Amino acid sequence: MTAAKSELELRREFDQLSRRLRPDLYRYAFWLGRDRQLAEDVVQEALLRAWKAYRDLADPSSAKAWMISIVRREFARTFERKRLETVDISDYEQQLAGDEDDPRVEEMRQAIFELEVDYREPLALQILLGHTTREIAGLMDLTEGAVLTRLHRARAKLRQAIGPDQSGDGSNKS
Amino acid sequence: MSRDDQNLTEPTGSGSDKRFEALIERALRIDVPGPVARVEPRKLPRWPFIAVAASLLLAAGMLVNSLYEARYFGGDDLATDVIAHVLHEPELLVPTDAPADGAEFDQILREAGARFSVAPAAVSFVRLCPFRGHMVAHFVVRASHGPVTVLLLPNEEVDARTPLNEQGFIGTIVPLDAGGSIAVVGEADEDIEEVRTQVAGALRWRL
Repeated sequence: MTAAKSELELRREFDQLSRRLRPDLYRYAFWLGRDRQLAEDVVQEALLRAWKAYRDLADPSSAKAWMISIVRREFARTFERKRLETVDISDYEQQLAGDEDDPRVEEMRQAIFELEVDYREPLALQILLGHTTREIAGLMDLTEGAVLTRLHRARAKLRQAIGPDQSGDGSNKS
Repeated sequence: MSRDDQNLTEPTGSGSDKRFEALIERALRIDVPGPVARVEPRKLPRWPFIAVAASLLLAAGMLVNSLYEARYFGGDDLATDVIAHVLHEPELLVPTDAPADGAEFDQILREAGARFSVAPAAVSFVRLCPFRGHMVAHFVVRASHGPVTVLLLPNEEVDARTPLNEQGFIGTIVPLDAGGSIAVVGEADEDIEEVRTQVAGALRWRL
């Protein structure tokens, strides 16, 4: 980050960046914890931490990956502090039911909700945030092979959960 | 997604696989709440609404004019404006033991772009107020001797702590690490430091 920028310029720049990224950061945080209030808290804290360190960010083009990593760390901190209980199906009703008009999307959303976080997270990083296998591996501290295995299993579980009519041509190829 | 990723995670790349991937993406894209909660307006009959709106417009015009004349906003002296605001709402400094409604406090903080990691103790009044062109959270805490009023000012920057001592009130305007400031004001014999420490330490802006 250039030292020539004034405090006001930096604040405006960060404000634009956080407005642009906030929806994806919120969705990522939600799919980590499956709790809307938790996601909102995590993103707020992460944005505050990001703002405090923003002046020292060397490469502005890496801002998105940088902020995602801050959300992940903040989620881990919050989760550890609150020691959240396991989410069951009734929580899906509380968190997401009725948000979607298309029953196919609703069914898929519930299937993703019920996936273990080891599968949910790489799926969200890949599909929602456009991360490559290498980037996911770096963020989650896994090998690329392990990431690919998890992504493969995640899709297999989703196909199994939603049935052949919704998952494609019914051949269960993955 | 990279080409290698696609080869390993989408075996055929057929139309059905693409539909499957699109379905996952749509499912992941849940609705995102805005940073500030919106309050749905109540539906009112048209003619009474127009009459009320006209009255409000007239009143607002008179208020803005009087505020300008009083240099209520747009002035450079933040300390004077803080005291003027406190004097403008003297009912907030009347001692009371009745606690403010917690849900209302949360809602006003949300609308003012603020929240607390630890809620201040003994909040007795809370209100969303116009202040120097912005809507800010104004609340009152019961301190050791009496009420202490607090204004959360995300749009007001001060370089250092600014003491206030005007018209029988003492107080301070404190810059925050996250930007903006808070103003804490009490009557002359009040110890405001405890309230200042509690509020400044727990306040977070909603970005």
